[in-house]
Amino acid sequence: MNAVVADITYRAMLGRKRIWLLALLPAALIGMAALLRLIGGPDEHTAVILMEKFSIGTMLPLLGLIAGTGVIAPEIEDGTIIHLLSKPISRPVIALTKFAVAASLVAVFGAVSTFVAAFLLIRDESGVAYGFSLGALFGGVAYAAVFMLVGVLTRHAVTVGVIYALVWEGLVGGYVPGARSLSIQQWAQSIADRISSSPFLSSDVSLGFAVPAMIIVTVGALVWAGQRLRSLSLTGDE
Amino acid sequence: MMSEPTGVIHDIGYRHYEGERLGRGSAFAALAVHSLRGAFGLGRTARAKIMPLLLVTIMLLPAVVSIAIMALVKQQGMGYHNYASIMQPVLAIFLAAQAPYLVAPDLRFRVLPLYLSRPLAMIDYLGAKLAAMSVAMFLVLALPLTLLFAGELLVDPPGPTHTTEYFSALGGGVILAVLLASLGLALASFTPRRGLGVASVIAFYLFTSVVSGVFFGVFMSLGRDAAAKWAMLINPFFLVDSVQVALFGTAPSNGEGYPPGLWPCLFVLIVLAVATVGLVLRYRKAASS
Repeated sequence: MNAVVADITYRAMLGRKRIWLLALLPAALIGMAALLRLIGGPDEHTAVILMEKFSIGTMLPLLGLIAGTGVIAPEIEDGTIIHLLSKPISRPVIALTKFAVAASLVAVFGAVSTFVAAFLLIRDESGVAYGFSLGALFGGVAYAAVFMLVGVLTRHAVTVGVIYALVWEGLVGGYVPGARSLSIQQWAQSIADRISSSPFLSSDVSLGFAVPAMIIVTVGALVWAGQRLRSLSLTGDE
Repeated sequence: MMSEPTGVIHDIGYRHYEGERLGRGSAFAALAVHSLRGAFGLGRTARAKIMPLLLVTIMLLPAVVSIAIMALVKQQGMGYHNYASIMQPVLAIFLAAQAPYLVAPDLRFRVLPLYLSRPLAMIDYLGAKLAAMSVAMFLVLALPLTLLFAGELLVDPPGPTHTTEYFSALGGGVILAVLLASLGLALASFTPRRGLGVASVIAFYLFTSVVSGVFFGVFMSLGRDAAAKWAMLINPFFLVDSVQVALFGTAPSNGEGYPPGLWPCLFVLIVLAVATVGLVLRYRKAASS
């Protein structure tokens, strides 16, 4: 970990328009929870649907995508990463620091807003709020690592990430049960399912698979990104 | 005594252009065609062709499968009216991947003043980009529909030919293409970075589709069906589908129906107006910044 690199990355992430994308979705989640409370539908089933579909299903991948690719892809795209890479800091440490920044942002914006929204809807009924915020926390960390790796690997990081989140987790996961066990979203959901006792929540992936898978994916993505940074080529395209 | 001349002007063959100067219309057409080709990766690197090609192929798959079903079991496969609604994630990804390409590089590399030093005005630039994106979106949708229709004509399954359905789906496709293109360009033009543009467009689509889905489910479970139908309209694809239902009388593709009357048409016009005004306001000073 390198404090200076972390500081620069935080400033780049929070000082631009990107913070609006990071803040808008959590704000929308809390706003929807408040609206649902107003129109009088705050039962446990509604809360679980909102958490499943919006919080874990939409907001978390998008936050992971924005934060994960945002910490490194713009610098690679405009070539300024060369200034960072030419400093006597080991490349894996740079990758680790960038990941820590992305993960902390996703954790703060994702998990906290999930907790607030769920608590606003049904208080701490059957542990839905705790379960989903913990699921969002771990899922967000895994998303941040994976999307940061994608950002190092390809210039079209955002498009590739969108296709993974929308086509693989959304479309393919909807029809092919096997694809669900390879989806961060489902892993987060199985953590939520473990903690919450809500009968409306069920997960297809067992916790015994989800937790090791999450750890392996996160660590693997970090190591790969660090190795990849050691031999990054800065050729432009388009 | 005279000194030797020190400077000489050589004639190295620069010449004025003396041919006919094509005006504003030609500049508009050239920019629109260039942008349209770019949206499909033509005239760009091989890597830029992968994404549009892949997405067009995915769009064609259900049509091909339907034709096979028609030929083998003599049954109508996929319908025309709900093609866009079913394939909406693919259309949204196409929009998100290509709309930022049309606007972001020009902003990022600050070449707008070069465009404006030609007969092209800012409004022409925006019009050309909007036209290119709309035509691209329409082609992506119309190609599988036309393939499906051609297949139906060739296979000729029992029952009447769905000519009306085909043309009303194309009509809905025009509205969908213009609406999506203006929304996508308006969102993408706010950032000079392509990646961020892709993220904003896709975030907008996911946000609207999930919000409409969640509110639809909640209102249905509360027994307020009318409110649930209004909630469907938050998703732009279902909004256009409701216009298609209102104008052409096709079957609603969400299975539930939409609020009656011409309200959806009004909403489409309002969204279009907001998006284009946003785009024009964004570009009012874009060239100088």
